[in-house]
Amino acid sequence: MDNKTPAVTMRNITKRFGPILANDKVWLNIYRGEILALLGENGSGKTTLMNMLSGIYFPDEGEIQVDGKEVVIRSPKDAFDLGIGMIHQHFKLVDVLTAAENIVLGLPGRLDLKAASAKIREICDAYGFEVDPNQKIYNMSVSQKQTVEIVKVLYRGADILILDEPTAVLTPQETDKLFAVLRNMRNDGKAIVIITHKMHEVEALSDRVAVLRHGQFIGDMPTKTTNAQEMTNMMVGHPVVLNIDRPEPKNPKPRIEVKGLTVRDIEGTLKLDDVSFTANSGEILGVAGISGCGQKELLEAIAGLQPVEKGSICYIEDDGTREELIGKDPLSIQNMGVSLSFVPEDRLGMGLVGNMDLSDNMMLRSFRRGHSLFTDRKTPHQLAETVVRELEVSTPGVSTPVRRLSGGNVQKVLVGREIASAPRVLLTAYAVRGLDINSSYTIYDLINRQKTDGVAVIYVGEDLDVLLELADRILVLCGGKVSGIVPGRGAKKRDVGLMMTKLGGEQAHE
Amino acid sequence: MKKIIALLLALVMVFALAACGEKPVENNAPAENNAPAEAPAENAVTVKVGFIFLHDENSTYDLNFIKAAEEACKAAGIEYILKTNVPEGQECYDAAAELVDEGCNIVFADSFGHEDYMIQAAKDFPNVQFCHATGTKAHTENIANYHNAFASIYEGRYLAGIAAGMKLNQMIEEGKISAEEAKIGYVGAFTYAEVISGYTSFFLGARSVCPSATMEVTFTGSWYDQALETEGAQKLIDRNCVLISQHADSLGAPSACEAAGVPNVSYNGSTEEAGPNTYIVASRINWAPYFSYIIDCVKNGQAIDTDWTGTFATGSVELFPLNEKVAAPGTQEAIDAAKAALEAGTLHVFATDTFTKDGAELTEYLADVDTDDAFTPDTNVVSDGYFHESENRSAPYFDVQIDGIELLDVNFG
Amino acid sequence: MNKKTRSPLFHIAKRSTLPWYRAWAIRGGALILALLVCAGVTALLTGQNALLLYVTMFKGSFGSARKIWVLLQNIAMLLCVSLAVTPAFKMRCWNLGGEGQVLVGGLASVLVMTLLSPYLPNWLLILAMLAASVLVGAVWAGIPAIFKAQWNTNETLFTLMMNYVATQLVAFYIAYRFPKGTGTMGVINGDTRAGWMPYLFGQQYLLNILIVALVTALLYAYLRYSKHGYEIAVVGESERTARYVGIKVKRVIVRTMLLSGAICGLAGFLLVSGTDHSLSTTSAGGRGFTAVMVSWLAKFNPIWMIFTSFLLVFLGKGASEIASQFRLNESFGDILTGIILFFIIGSEFFIQYKIMLTKSAEKEEKAHD
Repeated sequence: MDNKTPAVTMRNITKRFGPILANDKVWLNIYRGEILALLGENGSGKTTLMNMLSGIYFPDEGEIQVDGKEVVIRSPKDAFDLGIGMIHQHFKLVDVLTAAENIVLGLPGRLDLKAASAKIREICDAYGFEVDPNQKIYNMSVSQKQTVEIVKVLYRGADILILDEPTAVLTPQETDKLFAVLRNMRNDGKAIVIITHKMHEVEALSDRVAVLRHGQFIGDMPTKTTNAQEMTNMMVGHPVVLNIDRPEPKNPKPRIEVKGLTVRDIEGTLKLDDVSFTANSGEILGVAGISGCGQKELLEAIAGLQPVEKGSICYIEDDGTREELIGKDPLSIQNMGVSLSFVPEDRLGMGLVGNMDLSDNMMLRSFRRGHSLFTDRKTPHQLAETVVRELEVSTPGVSTPVRRLSGGNVQKVLVGREIASAPRVLLTAYAVRGLDINSSYTIYDLINRQKTDGVAVIYVGEDLDVLLELADRILVLCGGKVSGIVPGRGAKKRDVGLMMTKLGGEQAHE
Repeated sequence: MKKIIALLLALVMVFALAACGEKPVENNAPAENNAPAEAPAENAVTVKVGFIFLHDENSTYDLNFIKAAEEACKAAGIEYILKTNVPEGQECYDAAAELVDEGCNIVFADSFGHEDYMIQAAKDFPNVQFCHATGTKAHTENIANYHNAFASIYEGRYLAGIAAGMKLNQMIEEGKISAEEAKIGYVGAFTYAEVISGYTSFFLGARSVCPSATMEVTFTGSWYDQALETEGAQKLIDRNCVLISQHADSLGAPSACEAAGVPNVSYNGSTEEAGPNTYIVASRINWAPYFSYIIDCVKNGQAIDTDWTGTFATGSVELFPLNEKVAAPGTQEAIDAAKAALEAGTLHVFATDTFTKDGAELTEYLADVDTDDAFTPDTNVVSDGYFHESENRSAPYFDVQIDGIELLDVNFG
Repeated sequence: MNKKTRSPLFHIAKRSTLPWYRAWAIRGGALILALLVCAGVTALLTGQNALLLYVTMFKGSFGSARKIWVLLQNIAMLLCVSLAVTPAFKMRCWNLGGEGQVLVGGLASVLVMTLLSPYLPNWLLILAMLAASVLVGAVWAGIPAIFKAQWNTNETLFTLMMNYVATQLVAFYIAYRFPKGTGTMGVINGDTRAGWMPYLFGQQYLLNILIVALVTALLYAYLRYSKHGYEIAVVGESERTARYVGIKVKRVIVRTMLLSGAICGLAGFLLVSGTDHSLSTTSAGGRGFTAVMVSWLAKFNPIWMIFTSFLLVFLGKGASEIASQFRLNESFGDILTGIILFFIIGSEFFIQYKIMLTKSAEKEEKAHD
């Protein structure tokens, strides 16, 4: 490959955020006609590096060359002028405008939507996108919005594309479609960088892999010559075992019984439609589904955070006593003696308070204890220290605000707190989203330990591969309805994927 | 870095220059540095006066006091301290006390609302003389070192009213308006005696030469509110008032008049600059005689009058020179004649045969002279065919709503 | 490196937290810079000796024992209102109604003072005034709080509107009680001094100052160590988190606003009973708004607020002293205060971010290490 001229050369790039060295003298070449997977754990500096290429940040040191010429990229506009476009994890689209309007938004010159639409169609045909230029963004699925983002970048003439974790929000089928399109673009001679930490995607898609660790460039190699284990070891810095345990459930008994649960959101949209299932003690019930299919509402309804239109949620004690949870808020559920822990999807916006330190976050669950007017700070402080020690949270100390911690450590703090109360039911939503491999495995371990302790675990996940390896049973949601419940052992990814998009999967299709 | 250093250097230079460029004597150097005390006489007291003003020079009302204070103190060659923008609250007490701390043996305050705090200070500092303009309580409080002062400004306003009436007559003669259209507009601050006395005497002066004159009054509810005063004047102009006067302290009304080309009679200060083509005349209280009086009293160890009323004779009531460009011919002569009659006692502003209340002549009237919380009228002030204004106490107490004047609204601020 | 490329002269980078002494060094530097600029502006515009100006400014606050007492009293009043709005601010509930809450609190005191003074012994009268002020202040803040909790109305607008209502109420009361007056109430019970707070050791303001000091300590403990304080912090940071852990958000909002209003009411009481013995529409003196700045600059910490309120009062007094002494327009004092505040608030930017000069970045880093 080295005989080609790189489209982009980044030399000796260094970027600091305060005392944190986000990138430390990184060298990276990007070539045309190649898909480069930029691999690294969370906080390894992948996104920072690419943000400097797309003009969001400016490097403290180092230089960037495009097609062999040194350039200064001070703004996203500079980047566009050089043909560099980035598709961020969070889309930057105006909801009430159409795809075409979003794509031409901010471009100089006269507004000619017709011509724009024609050009958009041209781009779509060339690479196999499916976009209706006249569709409004708010009517689009996540994958369609992503497509609009990509077309937007191409429309502006980018031939160096950077995608930051593009598959995090997609179903397996959508992912396949995206990959096909990316391959088409690669074959057209575009340079493509995809930031990810999903090993199987790297293997399926990329031509070359570059690995970052702790802000430093570790190495790059053609994908063909490497494998998942080697890449993981490079990312983590030491050998890791890539297996998820799945012990057999011991003595499962019904713990949570949901019947005919129906939930509407504030706008009156049906979010859960007649959902019924039972979660057993000592078992992990996986919940699969495209994002926004009612997973959040389901967990929040059980946790007492979501008003319910009808149905029942029963908590069943070991001796068979049943307690109705609907109509109770978290406080009264707690006061009833139902020990229920919830690791929500939005860790810093819901599970924790970002600006508070570890101790104070531990206190969230316990501050009411005792009759004193004042809070007891000792116990949470000790708990924080225990969590830090046992879960190997890397933090300067227990008085560091949690927002300063990396994603994995934040999640360890949250899960640590939630399991500290020895729950009987554990609800988790996307427990490993955004976490690096080490942290993910720590979390899987913690969840499995809860399961063997007899806790009924409801695990909402997005990575089907993990769900298939971890869960004892998988509840598949599709548009707020139960599409089916399948045993985790022996379930096929393809089948579950289909059930996510069509009620009942293939059966319904037939 | 260099740029920042350069910037800093520049700043330091400015600073240094300013320090060097300081001239030893400046007109507007701090007041304290002014006029070192002249060698005191053998047994006379060194007088230092502290002045408390509600606003600063931007208010015509306060400017009038400030000018007089400087004039009187410079003439006496004594030290003085001015405190401007002192609100009518505890700050007034604090300011008075600070002035005492700084060695003042006379403290003067210029606003009606200062009175209670001045009384409080007078009680706390019995060795210092506290003098208060426009106040009403000295004659009932019986505090030896607390004094009120005012002037028979209603007489000055009467004369200004004559100038206004002459102007109306001129407009009628020139056919600009009919006699029935001779309507005066008046922008007042509050519906209280000082204002009522002011506009009534002004109106009576105008009607004494232009019998068909009528008047409309609007209130702002504030002593100083340029926007409201402009608005009020404009409203009156829109209601076909052909001449405007005011008793509120901003340049709002004169400016509005100048813009609309409506003749204006001012108060407290000449507003000729703001209205060269509309300003006719202004009456004012000249406070310098009072200030000289209290300075002399303290210097010579004499008691200050509890309630002092300035007059034409003391030089306290004054008319600014006429703006000949606007004033009607013969105005000066009419004013001079009336002034002579007032001084001679042959003419009384509030002569009961010149106005009616509810259609009837006033034969007796209980005014609220001795201020109490409930404003109980307590003293009959009508006798010998006229209303005895500013005789039972210095501050005005004429608050009769006479016929011919219509109050458009009442605004309490 | 390549010198031909046009790289930006500087760029802005977020700092990690600075040690407190460096943060305060930056603030101090800003203040000095501000004073220099003020000196320059004064010298250029008025030709006054800037040094003399600062002497005057200092004298205005510390010139005599009385001035120091008055300064302390003003700090106490501003601090009291700032303390009042702080719990609400900490909850991210922008109570801009301090002005109105102080006024209605003061009005309650005035009513009790005038109506009940013949019937109650002085100590009971004072307590009754205190109770009435606190209660009415709390109600005034409670109304927008209930609307916010129930219908999620915007508390900023609502509390601002309540200010106008309060001002009008006071104006109405004055006009009703003193229809022939000039919009002022005058001193209440000037003869009997009924309902006036007693002088401690002959000092009129001492009791006021002590009360505010006590409130400062209590509020500090409340916000930092109490369960309520913790709930306020959680609701402020994230309502969703609060709900997630079972905090009744509506109740916390209403409770905290009631507290906020109650302390404002206390400030109104202190104004009427402790200092003014009177009330006007401007009695609150803009403190309800200045308090926003005091509270923000101190990062909602009651102890730091002592310093920030001192700073603002000192600046305000100094500026008006300059205006008065040098016979400059009052607006000139405002200009100076504006310049100083600009620098002080601007310094917060430099505490959060650093400007990195591209060329010398390397050297600078080394210097820091």
